[in-house]
Amino acid sequence: MINLEINGKKITANEGDTILRASLNNDIYIPNLCDDKRLRPYGGCRLCIVEVEGQARLMAACSSPAVDGMVIQTETPKLKKYRQTIIELLLVHHPLECPECDKAGECNLQDLAYEYGKPESRFIRSRKTTKSDIRGPLIELTSRRCILCGKCVRICSDHQGRGAIGLIGRGFPTVVQPAFGETLECDYCGQCLDVCPTGAILSKPYKFTARSWFLDEQDSICPFCGVGCTLTLGIREGKILRARGEQGKGVNDGNLCGRGRFGIDYIYSKKRLTTPLIKKGEEFVTASWEEALAHVAKSLTNIIKKYGPAAVGAIGSPRCTNEDNFALNKFIREVVGSDNIESSAAFGYEKVQKVMTAAFGTNNHPVNLESPLGKEIIFAVESDLSVTHPIFGLKILEATREGSRLITADSRETKLTRHSADWLKLMDGTSVALLNGIMHVITEDDLFNKETVTGIANFDTFLASLKEYTPEKTAELTGVPAAKIIETAKALAAAKSRLITLSLSLSENTKGSAAIKAAANLVNLLGEGAESLQIPAEYSNTYGSYNSGLRPDSNKPGKGLKEMLYDSESFLKAIYIMGEDPVINFPNSTAVTEKLKSLDFIVVQDIFLTATAKMADVVFPASSWGEKSGTFTNASSIDQEVLKLVDPTGQSVSDWMILKNLSLTMGSDLGIKKLADIQHELKSYHEKQKAPEGVKAFLTVHHGPAEEIDSRFPFKLVIRDILQHSGSMSTRSKSLDLVISEALLKLNTEDAERLAIRDSSHVKLSSKNGEIYLKAVISEDVPMGTVFVPSHFPYARINTLTQLTPEGDAVIAGVNIEHAGKSS
Amino acid sequence: MASKNNTDIKSLVIRVCVGTGGLAAGSQEVIDEFTKLLKKKGVRAEVLKKCVNKTGCRGFCAKDVLADVIVDGISHTYQLLTAENVARIVEEHIVGGEPVEQWLVGPEYHAFHDKQTKILLHECGHIDPEDINAYTEIGGYNGARKALTMKPENIIAQIKDSGLRGRGGAGFPTGLKWEFCRNADSDQKYIICNADEGDPGAFMDRSIIEGNPHSVIEGMIISGYAIGASFGYIYIRAEYPLAIERLKIALSEARSNGFLGKGIFNSDFDFELKIKEGAGAFICGEETALIASIEGKRGMPRSKPPFPAHKGLLGKPTVINNVETLATLPSIMTKGAKWFSSIGTEKSKGTKVFALTGKIKNTGLIEVPMGISLKEIIYDIGGGMEKKNRTLKAVQTGGPSGGCIPAANIDMPVDYESLAAAGSMMGSGGMVVMDDLTCMVDMSKFFLTFTANESCGKCVPCRVGTKRMLEILTRITEGKGKSSDIDLLLELGKDIKLASLCGLGQSAPNPVLSTLHYFRDEYEAHINEGICPAGVCKSLRRYTVSDEACKMCGKCKTVCPSDAVTWEKKQKAVISKEKCIKCGACYEACPFNAIL
Repeated sequence: MINLEINGKKITANEGDTILRASLNNDIYIPNLCDDKRLRPYGGCRLCIVEVEGQARLMAACSSPAVDGMVIQTETPKLKKYRQTIIELLLVHHPLECPECDKAGECNLQDLAYEYGKPESRFIRSRKTTKSDIRGPLIELTSRRCILCGKCVRICSDHQGRGAIGLIGRGFPTVVQPAFGETLECDYCGQCLDVCPTGAILSKPYKFTARSWFLDEQDSICPFCGVGCTLTLGIREGKILRARGEQGKGVNDGNLCGRGRFGIDYIYSKKRLTTPLIKKGEEFVTASWEEALAHVAKSLTNIIKKYGPAAVGAIGSPRCTNEDNFALNKFIREVVGSDNIESSAAFGYEKVQKVMTAAFGTNNHPVNLESPLGKEIIFAVESDLSVTHPIFGLKILEATREGSRLITADSRETKLTRHSADWLKLMDGTSVALLNGIMHVITEDDLFNKETVTGIANFDTFLASLKEYTPEKTAELTGVPAAKIIETAKALAAAKSRLITLSLSLSENTKGSAAIKAAANLVNLLGEGAESLQIPAEYSNTYGSYNSGLRPDSNKPGKGLKEMLYDSESFLKAIYIMGEDPVINFPNSTAVTEKLKSLDFIVVQDIFLTATAKMADVVFPASSWGEKSGTFTNASSIDQEVLKLVDPTGQSVSDWMILKNLSLTMGSDLGIKKLADIQHELKSYHEKQKAPEGVKAFLTVHHGPAEEIDSRFPFKLVIRDILQHSGSMSTRSKSLDLVISEALLKLNTEDAERLAIRDSSHVKLSSKNGEIYLKAVISEDVPMGTVFVPSHFPYARINTLTQLTPEGDAVIAGVNIEHAGKSS
Repeated sequence: MASKNNTDIKSLVIRVCVGTGGLAAGSQEVIDEFTKLLKKKGVRAEVLKKCVNKTGCRGFCAKDVLADVIVDGISHTYQLLTAENVARIVEEHIVGGEPVEQWLVGPEYHAFHDKQTKILLHECGHIDPEDINAYTEIGGYNGARKALTMKPENIIAQIKDSGLRGRGGAGFPTGLKWEFCRNADSDQKYIICNADEGDPGAFMDRSIIEGNPHSVIEGMIISGYAIGASFGYIYIRAEYPLAIERLKIALSEARSNGFLGKGIFNSDFDFELKIKEGAGAFICGEETALIASIEGKRGMPRSKPPFPAHKGLLGKPTVINNVETLATLPSIMTKGAKWFSSIGTEKSKGTKVFALTGKIKNTGLIEVPMGISLKEIIYDIGGGMEKKNRTLKAVQTGGPSGGCIPAANIDMPVDYESLAAAGSMMGSGGMVVMDDLTCMVDMSKFFLTFTANESCGKCVPCRVGTKRMLEILTRITEGKGKSSDIDLLLELGKDIKLASLCGLGQSAPNPVLSTLHYFRDEYEAHINEGICPAGVCKSLRRYTVSDEACKMCGKCKTVCPSDAVTWEKKQKAVISKEKCIKCGACYEACPFNAIL
């Protein structure tokens, strides 16, 4: 700590702080337009100039380090005069369009003009008049209002690692533009919107919807990925109009991705369910709540009577609150008396939990969002965290800027591969082989931690299992050159600190439990603890819902998703599905559909009439995020409150309340009257769940020929997330739909040529499970023999083609590609 | 005239100036012609191969093409040559033994050179820049060789003792800069040669590289070794194709001689150099912007500290030295710090190269000892005003960052401190001489147009401030100035200087402020009386004929393109205001300065 004096006030600051940072941290405001604590000092606007005793020159506070003993003045007549000149210079060309500019009321330039502006300018006013660039979706660039602080350019390139816009030209005519003045094409994270101090960059969806001073702003938690960012939501007249990030708030500290910023308008989709529906024959008819609840109560009671409670199952939701999920848990266990319950976490986080427990003997594995910082090596295995968990991805980028060495193993170029020191270009689905190959080198060369491995079970079996993964063999399996494998192994072993990170969810099919086991083995081999393996839970409340009882209890003979939906055994007669769309989201949807068809009774409560809901006998309309209160637990195990910000759509009701009402109809009250009752009970439930810690173990695992590629289905179908979407919920967002609205099949240029498939033409994609039609785009991104497609889009029904292994992993499927219209 | 036989010539060397200036004046044609005719004359081929050497700039650009014809060791220098002249020189001088007197250089050529002290430029124009042997034969690379036997600390001490200051403009002590970098702890350090010479009219660095590229490379080896850098960049503007070409040749020759690469000069010091071509932005001469440009980023300066000596290229300690600074190093190493510090003044040591231009007789590249008076430069070296009937008004130094020194101060010494005290600066070495036909407002406008265009746009005072200043200057030159404009220029200029981020903005108002200081009356005349005293600002011109001065020669009528002059023999001329298009032809043509 250092001591300095600002305006007569004695303050302390961290060594290395700039004068501006030290001053702002001590609540002394110095005017500035180009500073952002996430960015390197810039010194462009020159408003933060201060006087430092003993210094002849004025110093820019943003770019001058605070030195112990400094005596600083930030408000003197001399400084005021300079600031007036600077504001005057900016206002000569800045068009005073405040009456029709969305930024008015929260515009830094406007505020500073109010403070330092003079009614008369000494210069002849010549306003900039360039037209706004409205070509791109979501973001509008109005260069005439730009004061060239460069924050947008810097946040985009230096912080987001994107660099979609740049300063073009020099001197006064400089403009912020995409290269060559082309249409803006970027991550659409909208970070530039938040940093712009004027109205030069504005949100198109928010445009002209409200004056900023009429907005009621409230904070809530983002409904998309597991990071759990705090959104500051602007509400007017009962409608959420926008979301923005605010520094100092939440785990994201002001950062947001495009999903959180633009995607929340899915709650205003015209397709929201507004009333309960009961199926009469083939058609749904609207029903009253009483009618629908009575119908469900009666049908479920009959099934329980006839087949026993074990014939009823339930699926919970990572999109619903802890309270909703716990209510479902209580309903299925206490009212129905069944233990058949699980959620989509079965394809993601639940596997992570199980493997981690087996490998490290510990329970609950929240991620540490700050974990990348300060690590010598970060190794991202077949995962683009900057897509699945964008704000966690930013931490990885931040770490690389601060000197961490990022090594990525991926088949495609991603943001992480672009920022990595080393990119091991492996073939899809071969991360187990790669990790085993790396461990082969580490064990052969005696580079592992011999003290710690002796205390870990199964070491000898594990060691023997690595024998076959020689660098040459691994190179053959993965496509990564042997020398690279050796180099990576040595680097990992030599590093003083390391982080191995992956993502796992049902919308990826290139890795499953095996990959996590291999990664856990590597961590154990190097003598590190579980904290060196960071695998964030996928969705906003995956972590929370899993810990709210959405899994078969190990002491009871409960069944999970695999048994309920995929096994041929037909114990299940009725299913209660809350906030999930298995027909679309789960692998091998043909099997899922067949299974659902075979059931006597299906209840779905959701916010949309999903493909699964269409198969239901009764559909309950649920309130969405933003329409109900509750808590989400993010991937780092932080319980965060989500607020009811607006009224529910139509007759929709909170999920937990539907379950409470249904229980009452079935003659049991669940012990819940209000939300707080569930929260209270949930707390004691969590206490009880704390299991004793076990032992560490190596989990022998082999590279398996997971995919079934043959002459009939010669292409590997790889499913990965794309940045603009999270699960299928975000595809209902009108804003995100503007960026990307359909599942595009990415096909290698040479493959396309061979099959005579033109860019943007429609193709038929078939696997042994079924066939779908998609638009193909030709791209260098995908390797030969592989096609890539995201699974988010319900209409594309990608899961028609996918497979589920007996271990419950989604795997790369073999597919065939033909021109649409041609019959095979 | 006794005719000599060809075979009597034992040695024949012809040196033709092929700097950019020389090439532009047609030196390649002169070389070709010599080659052709000598072959025709049957002068032996083996002699011929050597006899037309390319040399670099010898500074006297006003007299290009210059060529030395050295017959058996006796040298004669020809000036203003063209290919047509060559036949007669071959015939009369080489074959006939009688130099062609009328084309030989006159006394001004000698005056031009005599007052100069050539350290850097000594070899330029005398050795072949495309042959490393030419450099090593005169002791080239001995400085580096010697340096490598010394402790780096001792080299730094020697440079500090010599008093050498950076020649790029700011005049920071070179040895001190090196010491900062030497003391910075890092696994990798860099040395960068700043050859991004951007001042309008300046060509010192270009000429040194074109004339003696090895001196720069040798300087970089010395500084690289001294600071502990094993890698260096030469950042040179792409607009200098000849300099780049010669550097490339020099680098490859140095490499094959073991002066670059692994274990140079058989020591254990590895040193490698790379050329990085700049894309022609003036701001990239600023060291942090230059670093950004090498890193592949937009060439914009950043705030200092950290200084490049601590965190420079790729975040590593870096020293950036100007071409001239680097080229001075070999001779300091071989001749010693004492020798160097004996030249110049107390605080400004050694020599400085200037690009002498403007309304002066002998324009060109000069090297003078620090402390020489402006008067000596202008009248002895420069040969005085270009036109006899014109008088000296001011000297502009330091380019767009510098200022004007009025004729009254012509006795002042040229060194860092004196120039700064006079409101100008040393800068990189531009020196523009102006006569009474130069309008100071217009001149300021010229420089400000340059800086406003070259401002990178990062900081507000420079980006917007220079634009507004330029607007004010423009309206003054158009006769639309307001009485408040002078105060506004002074205030705004001061604010820009104080609040700007980098040296460009901090010095951009200098041309305006210094002319306002010395020539405020000219600004006032433009604003208050609507006249441009020098007659330059077109909008303000009102040509009239002075009755007293007019000698009734009628020259003005003959040159007038718009028939605006009425004149009969033995009558004084009259200019019609209506017909006059203010082109100034009559003004230029009048031998008696009778047109006002």
